[in-house]
Amino acid sequence: MSNYLKPLSVVAVIVLILLAPSIRDALKEEAATYVNDSESSHNGLPESWNNSQVFCVLFLDQVSHPKFTSGVTMIESDGSILGTNSEYNGTGACVGGFSGYENGLDLMNDAVNSSGNDLVYNSTEFSFGLQIDSIGNIEPCDVAECSDSSGAYWALYHNGGASMVGISDVILEEADVLLWQIETW
Amino acid sequence: MYDFHNVALTPNQSLLLNIAILSVIVYAVIRSERRIEDSNPLVMIGILAIFGIAGRILLDPLPNFQPVTVIVLLAGIYYGAPRAVALAGIIALTTNFVALGHGPWTLFQIAGWGLVGIAGAVFADYLLKDDQLQLNRLAVLAIISAFAFDWVVSLSILLNADASMLVPYLLNGLLFDLYHAVGNLIFVAWLANPLSDLMLRHKIVPSSRAVNQVATN
Repeated sequence: MSNYLKPLSVVAVIVLILLAPSIRDALKEEAATYVNDSESSHNGLPESWNNSQVFCVLFLDQVSHPKFTSGVTMIESDGSILGTNSEYNGTGACVGGFSGYENGLDLMNDAVNSSGNDLVYNSTEFSFGLQIDSIGNIEPCDVAECSDSSGAYWALYHNGGASMVGISDVILEEADVLLWQIETW
Repeated sequence: MYDFHNVALTPNQSLLLNIAILSVIVYAVIRSERRIEDSNPLVMIGILAIFGIAGRILLDPLPNFQPVTVIVLLAGIYYGAPRAVALAGIIALTTNFVALGHGPWTLFQIAGWGLVGIAGAVFADYLLKDDQLQLNRLAVLAIISAFAFDWVVSLSILLNADASMLVPYLLNGLLFDLYHAVGNLIFVAWLANPLSDLMLRHKIVPSSRAVNQVATN
């Protein structure tokens, strides 16, 4: 009657070992809950990042990044995907779970590394600091009309407000959120 | 003078070492049990405690894979709820105190395993027919016990988190519950029969049946 219990238990172990990574990812995504507080700079970000530093990039919907096509993908600092918040106002990716960063550029560089270079950027060094030309290989003028009288650029937000300084001069505190998005003029 | 004990083992090596130690303990205990003449179940509780404690500590490198749940379940079936709860307490307290870390969760672990032991006692007649362990039914109960135990222990997060965190926490832990469930299946498949032979020899005869036996003599 119980002859098959031993082989069954061995098969169960093998199946579990094979499936464990995908089960873990699926559960992680299922279990992710997002901050719902419009006053908070962490609004829409995973609750588990509440006390950590976060780096986000939002692409304009019409030219979505080839990988981040809907919602905002939440990437842990170790590169694993935490989930996708489809309620987030925008399309793009956030990398979070960082702490101890004091300089904006340091956080950005490590976040780009964590994203597996999906958020790789090009920049130009000016005397006043670094200018970001493209993120995820998307240049602002790919998305928006650029002429003599109008243009588009990557704009930096620090804790929800427009940053007063460039990325290389941003001074970070714990739980700060940096966000890039394309703006036009 | 010589630093012979300063050997660094990789995790896999130390796991193999632990499994070897556990095998020696299990073998030695099974051999020594044959010489125990009296049918005092407390001696068996002691032996089971050694199994549980050694198993839980030595298999710690494997996530949530330990024999305690199945041992406590069997103790409930053969020796009744009170002794199974006592066994749960001894194993949880000793392993946490000696090796794994003692804290408020110890109480939740005792409650969880205690509940498993009580379930074993409650379903004893269903799981044990004519002194024959119904392995398939035991396997099902052991799998349910894995989840029940883990969820009872998870309640300990309510001590420092609010209730809304419980569901995400349980969801995140579901993979570890599955490890526990499959581990229990393994222990039921491979360990339940030898262990139950051992326990059957020291089974307490409930007083009602004892009278019966005397009468037949």
